[in-house]
Amino acid sequence: MAKVEWPDRAESRAEMNATRTTCPFCLNGCTSGVEFNGVVHQMHYFTDAEVNKGRLCPRGNSANIVLDHRDRLCRPLLDGRDTTWSEAEALVRTWLAEVKPEELAVVYSRGRAADEVRRLHGLAEELGTPNLACGHIEPENCFNYRLEGVRDAGLADIESATAMLLVGDVFSTSPVASWRMLDARYKDRKNRMVVVDSVRTRQAGFAHSFVQVRPGTEPFALLALAALIESGLAPGVDVDRYVELAGVKRQQLEAAAAMLGPAMPGFVASAMHTGRVRHPAFHSLAGQLVARAGVKPFVGFRETELPSGPMRFADLRRKMAEGSIKLLFWTGGLFPFSYAELLPEAAKVEHIVATSIFRPEPPVRGLVLPLTAELERASAGRSYWGEVERSPLAAPLSGTRQFGRVLEWFGRAAEKPEAAVRPVGAADVVAMAARAVDAARSEAADDPDRVPNRVLLLGEKKAIGLRGFHDPEDEVSVNRADAERVEVSNHGYLMVKSPTAEREFRVRVTDAVPAGVMMVGTNVHANRCLFPLEKDELTGEVTVAPTPVSVEKTESMPVASGENPSVWV
Amino acid sequence: MKRIVLRPDYCIGCRSCEAACRSRFKGEARIRHGEVTTDALLPQGCRHCEEPLCAAACPFQVIVRNPDTGVVRKSDFHCVGCRSCALACPFGVIPPALMRHMSQKCTLCSDRPEGPRCVQTCPTGALQFTEDDRMPEKKAGVGFAVRSIHGRRLA
Repeated sequence: MAKVEWPDRAESRAEMNATRTTCPFCLNGCTSGVEFNGVVHQMHYFTDAEVNKGRLCPRGNSANIVLDHRDRLCRPLLDGRDTTWSEAEALVRTWLAEVKPEELAVVYSRGRAADEVRRLHGLAEELGTPNLACGHIEPENCFNYRLEGVRDAGLADIESATAMLLVGDVFSTSPVASWRMLDARYKDRKNRMVVVDSVRTRQAGFAHSFVQVRPGTEPFALLALAALIESGLAPGVDVDRYVELAGVKRQQLEAAAAMLGPAMPGFVASAMHTGRVRHPAFHSLAGQLVARAGVKPFVGFRETELPSGPMRFADLRRKMAEGSIKLLFWTGGLFPFSYAELLPEAAKVEHIVATSIFRPEPPVRGLVLPLTAELERASAGRSYWGEVERSPLAAPLSGTRQFGRVLEWFGRAAEKPEAAVRPVGAADVVAMAARAVDAARSEAADDPDRVPNRVLLLGEKKAIGLRGFHDPEDEVSVNRADAERVEVSNHGYLMVKSPTAEREFRVRVTDAVPAGVMMVGTNVHANRCLFPLEKDELTGEVTVAPTPVSVEKTESMPVASGENPSVWV
Repeated sequence: MKRIVLRPDYCIGCRSCEAACRSRFKGEARIRHGEVTTDALLPQGCRHCEEPLCAAACPFQVIVRNPDTGVVRKSDFHCVGCRSCALACPFGVIPPALMRHMSQKCTLCSDRPEGPRCVQTCPTGALQFTEDDRMPEKKAGVGFAVRSIHGRRLA
């Protein structure tokens, strides 16, 4: 057979127009773009972009997959069956006429832009309903609690840093931002990186000092660290007590404090994952306290920034359980797939109107309206580094509607400005610590032997592409000692039973997690359901904390994750 | 020729390279990740060998090396999916699993003047597309150490 002659496709490649916008999947503000060849979209990398120089994380690389995905919802659904927009509108107007204002609840979550949230606040005021809540109950939303006197970090602060404190797995949350941090770390041998986390992540491998704390006790270690950097900052901080609670050595914190002193320019960065932190607001504020002690700016890495509503989500949940909510309008992601515990409460609501960009699987009760994806509409908002404007990357999918048009069914409300941040003083953080110590004490009083093979289950943020995985989510990370105790080997199988759900996992034996702790990815709903929704006693916010589970060895093989349609977006 | 070079000290195992490849080839990533002692995760792509064993093993000669560019490419049109290339590859970077009845082989994104997507998207710049004689300069202790998640240097 003759050898194949290859045409030079690089030369023949037609110049395509690439649309350009700011990636909406997190707050790093990366410039992203797609090329459209008339059939499919392809990613385009803008190397002249200031923030990311054309670099994108796995999520950012999935933008074209979202635009062309076969599971996109393009017709309204009523109880899982197709319906028309006109029927949906008539139904919503009928339901609205049936209910009193106090029986209507509006919930917004990630996926809603800042201007849309402001319109929702105006709408709730016009309709006269007090039931407006933020349904984004991920721990990262508690970065809205801001310590007075702490400045936001900018790109220049990261580039010129000689001392960095990373709390939690910042690299997984924002891989693109890690580039500047690594450049700063390698720039000079004197530069220092300190990582505080409960598990050894890949990020910890880059640290000069890795402070491994007991799961959920990061804030205690941070408070002690702040007090060691500046003793007069927060009177009442009992360093030895907090060091003991966090399970670290005082000398290690003293060494970290020396690295992070006010003389060293740098920054403090923090990230919080589902199922990883116990008191998210306290966690966020303790990191900021270190930043204030070390005279450094602070940045909280997260996917979205949503202000709290006039009503706390916990109170709305109680009202739903009581049956006093007749019509629920939930717009944005995460409903109701991620929080299985909400389903019994949602069942007591007579009418549900939800919005989605993907076809819900399994079908959900009520009306589901197909909206344009974040990438198909213009919006404005904030990134970690400043204000950003987003232009549409592609034309809206046929059959979908812009959010504003759906909102008009409920009323024509003006935007109402809403403060996103909640200012807190240093004394309040110390008071939070005292209450957190009491909570830890009562928790320790629980008999760990009550449940056989009891371990603490943590959440991990694994690499994902939207609507498809890159890291296996049917895997549980198990410490070597625990694996021997349960008599399971690497690639064996474990059944994990939590108070809310159970699931079978393939075992990955690793020293990354300490003994008595196991860790699963929390991108799939099946895994998220293992973590019960808890009310944070310090703030009243609903959160998803580490949870004790029981485990037992099994012989069967779990279903391979592969392309899982239930990934949250 | 230009090659993809990995600077392990910058690799955070985020798998963006795999995601970029996957989104381009509709779910078929041609750069994959391998675990080093179960704790470090590093991308593994085709080396585009000077004497490619995959090409030598191919019974239909559909894998050829361009002597000018050094790119080893496979014709999807002529590939019959016999997996000989996957068995012959000494680095194990051609997955034995077939997609659309064909084996998957990196082309260095020859259709893009900007270079491979995996390199362009790498968030930390760990992957570089560079001439053989212009490998990234070795700074003191930086650039070529494989780092496990325990902070140990593995290689």
